Amino acid sequence: MKAMVKWIAVLMFVVLLAGCGSSKPTSPAPGAAPATAPAAPKAPIKVGGIFDLTGGTGDVGKPHSEGVRAYVAYINSKGGVDGAKIDLQWVDYAYQTPKAVEAYNKLTKQDGVSAVMGWGTGDTEAMKELIAKDKIPYISGSYSEQLINPATTPYNFIVAPTYSQASRVMLDYAKSKKADAKVALVYNDSGFGKSPLEDAKAYAKKIGLTWTGEVVVPLTASDAVTQVLELQKMGADYVLIQETTNATAVTLKSAKQQGAKIQFMGLAYSVDENLIKAAGDAAEGFIGIPAFAFPYETGAGIKEAVDFAASKGIKLEDLNQKWIQGWAFGRIMSEALKRAGDKPTGEAIRKAFESFKDYDLGGLGSPLTFTATDHGGAKKARIYQVKSGKWQPITEYLAPKQ
Amino acid sequence: MSGSMSFLLNLLVNGIVVGALYSLIALGFVLIYKASGVLNLAQGEMVLLGAYIGLTLTTGLKVPFLLGLVLAIGVSALVGMGIERVVLRPFIGEPPISIIMVTMGLSLLLRALMHFIWGTELRSFQGLFSNNPIVLGPVRLSEVFLWSFAAAIFLLIALTLFFKYSLLGIAMRATADDEQAALSMGISVKRVLGATWAVAAMVASVGGIFLGNIAGVNPLLTSYGLKVLPVAILGGLDSVPGAIVGGFVIGILENLAGGYLDTYWPGIKEVAPFIVLVIILLIKPYGLYGKEIIERV
Amino acid sequence: MNLRYPFTMECGQYRTTYEQDLAFHPSRLSTVRGWVIVAALFIVPLALSNYYVSILNQVSIFVIAAMGLNILTGLTGQISVGHGAFTGVGAFTAGYLMKLGWSYWLAMPAAGLVAAAVGGLFGLPSARLKGLYLAIASMAAQQILEFLFVRAEWFTGGVHSMTVLRPKLFGHSLDSDYGFYVLVLSVAVVLGVFAQNLTRTRWGRALVAVRDRDLAAEVMGVDLWKTKVMAFALSAFYAGIAGALWAPFVMIINPEQFNFSLSIELLAMIIIGGLGSVTGTVYGVIFMTILPILVRSVTQPLAVLVPAIGDKLLLLKDIAFGGAIVLFLVFESDGLAKLWRNIKDYFRLWPFSY
Repeated sequence: MKAMVKWIAVLMFVVLLAGCGSSKPTSPAPGAAPATAPAAPKAPIKVGGIFDLTGGTGDVGKPHSEGVRAYVAYINSKGGVDGAKIDLQWVDYAYQTPKAVEAYNKLTKQDGVSAVMGWGTGDTEAMKELIAKDKIPYISGSYSEQLINPATTPYNFIVAPTYSQASRVMLDYAKSKKADAKVALVYNDSGFGKSPLEDAKAYAKKIGLTWTGEVVVPLTASDAVTQVLELQKMGADYVLIQETTNATAVTLKSAKQQGAKIQFMGLAYSVDENLIKAAGDAAEGFIGIPAFAFPYETGAGIKEAVDFAASKGIKLEDLNQKWIQGWAFGRIMSEALKRAGDKPTGEAIRKAFESFKDYDLGGLGSPLTFTATDHGGAKKARIYQVKSGKWQPITEYLAPKQ
Repeated sequence: MSGSMSFLLNLLVNGIVVGALYSLIALGFVLIYKASGVLNLAQGEMVLLGAYIGLTLTTGLKVPFLLGLVLAIGVSALVGMGIERVVLRPFIGEPPISIIMVTMGLSLLLRALMHFIWGTELRSFQGLFSNNPIVLGPVRLSEVFLWSFAAAIFLLIALTLFFKYSLLGIAMRATADDEQAALSMGISVKRVLGATWAVAAMVASVGGIFLGNIAGVNPLLTSYGLKVLPVAILGGLDSVPGAIVGGFVIGILENLAGGYLDTYWPGIKEVAPFIVLVIILLIKPYGLYGKEIIERV
Repeated sequence: MNLRYPFTMECGQYRTTYEQDLAFHPSRLSTVRGWVIVAALFIVPLALSNYYVSILNQVSIFVIAAMGLNILTGLTGQISVGHGAFTGVGAFTAGYLMKLGWSYWLAMPAAGLVAAAVGGLFGLPSARLKGLYLAIASMAAQQILEFLFVRAEWFTGGVHSMTVLRPKLFGHSLDSDYGFYVLVLSVAVVLGVFAQNLTRTRWGRALVAVRDRDLAAEVMGVDLWKTKVMAFALSAFYAGIAGALWAPFVMIINPEQFNFSLSIELLAMIIIGGLGSVTGTVYGVIFMTILPILVRSVTQPLAVLVPAIGDKLLLLKDIAFGGAIVLFLVFESDGLAKLWRNIKDYFRLWPFSY
């Protein structure tokens, strides 16, 4: 028995080696594939995806990736981008940075993709030098303001309001409700969590609000009672939340338990449908800025998405905000590829992105404008509120006042 | 009562309430370690598994909560026994590194398996406990915390009685004390080990179901496996009373650190238990109540 | 020299002195083979695409870290679940020193030494702790260091990452994957030879004695505490060097890269490769790096073909990861190194395998 098991293992190892060997000749020279076929039918455009389906952020990463893939299927079913199909090569990196680096190397060096759609803050940051060196336009689910300056990160593009941008809009809102509001931030110890901290603090002071401090709620927390007590001690009444669904729900519930009179204001990943399920009536009245719209809203762009999903047998209630986000990613990337023309090299796609001027997403999200000096596309953000168990927009798309 | 007093009181009460849940989960570690010398790093996965089973029963199959809880405990016990039989049995008497890694491998396997069945999205028990607080003077407690505290205390008492008076409980203690002697007295050590894993899975499932009611159920719950390690170590890996005391100590410590030190070192709440752990280990290497193994040359 | 079977080096072991038993290479042929393998490792990647070279870079860096862990866990028998953080100490130290204007060629060894000091510090509890308790103390080290990585912003750049550019050698930047690979491989070979040699020294034998029976070792005159702390320091030195190489490899480092799961992965690598074996470490790292890539290349096309289960197939990589650990422990607890030796023995002894 033992001997047999050993032999099976040996066999597996041989297969494994053979597997590595055989895949090698098929690898094309980087960047060569898309450029060389001008005649119809055009060669497909290779685009990379680095998604998290099975890792720590799989709960939101999975619908996001499904949205991206749905859009690619949709555009290909309509003949692709100017006759060229999009060939989406993607990797599930399970929210582990070393795996993301490996995935990035595979996509750019082996598959020869000309642009990548990424995911987390930690890994997007980890790759920004590689991205600049390899000239790979990169949009990701990390809306960090640190990535919008082309002088330092020339190939990163941010397609939704940055966390800082959203907090500015939120602070304006707080100011409009209470001129001397005392504001604070709930965050976590990660690049994602700390991203808006300095900007929000500075803006609050600039518009004349009192910044009372910031408290840490870990992503894995099961209660935030101490943190809520601390917020109460500080006297904060409008508090920004930069967390994921789980930690946001916990914070809201603990606040309700303590009877805290605090208006919480969520940014990007604090805002989705699951939050309402997890926090129950504690979510009522919570306001937030989602990165993209909800599937039940109106708008030509949203209808397109929902109709396509329906044609694939996916019902409206099975779609969610993160799915729409993925769909919007696909749409924005396709638009850039279309504008890049026949030779979608990294530089061409970068130029194409920089030609976006008030590009309308048909209700999917804030209109996008990129310039050669500013890669933060969304200048405006829209505030939503939980009303009778449902996220509803309460404002138009607003730009920060100052 | 002054504001700072009620602040302190709230921190203490919250610490005790959370600590009871820590004790419960830590008890799973201690039972298994005591009976078989295995440090079960898959304890966090058993917590999540219990939560998912409870969720499937109550929310999916619409079983009433209490009945669902009992059923979930039963199913978890079976799963625990199964794990012991299939995975751990070959490792009796192996060196610690093998045992650590096999439970680590087990935790990865279980996580992937649960992921396969239930996905990763955040699920929640619907509307069992009200979000409205219970107000006792200056202290405000949420209903679910109070119930989980009650359940944890009930289970801790029940288990203590079980170990003291029931035949199986006595057999388990005997096995933990001296496997050889237990065998020669006619105790089936294999059965006892199976029962140990069953009990560990049971307490994990209760912990999981209540935690799931507090924060929702998703793979993040597995982090409780690591989180309560300091609890088990603090009390001593092989001491049942140690786990109970350790849970309360760590719960209170965490809350006090969060309440008073967070302003200076944000995020200290999470690390404080580990810092205390290192200090405790340096002073009392076998924890507060652990059996000291004295070796002399 | 043996010409009968091309696959075998020798047909048995015939040694007449202790020196022969202790020799680094048992025969001249194996010396030649060693040089050939090293030369091949340097030359063959020239023919590979950049992607494969980048995988080789990753593998070589992990090999260095895992070799360090193997000195501690495999040779000395002390479990560390904190090696991910020690790697981070090396990476951040290298980055910090380079920011201060140090040359990379000084910063790298310095990073190793700082990591060694930190490793030694967290090895101090081994004076009183052993077995599982020590493993948990090292887990605490991981948690505390992770907290410090995030908080000590002056040193690590905190969560906002730290940029570490590729070093220059004689005016040539090691920007290309192959250029960097030459550096990483050179370091890996030097450290590998050192680790292999370690078991031939008095101190290396002391490590093994501590592992096999600490009390007996103490009776023989081995200073237990000093030996264990030194083992911690040496193994953290390897981790630190690996970190110092990882930093310019990815060019950006942040605390998330050196988390608990890195520690676990390193442990899994040496378990699967073979505890206490340098070559086994290499096999283990290759296995654990290739396994997810291989599973992915099989499952992703399948997922497209069978959309009904679709994305769930991706979980096979997690199942394979956990399964590999459990299966190796159950069936071949000495890992791939032993498996490979068995295969060689089979051919060497064939047809008289008894």
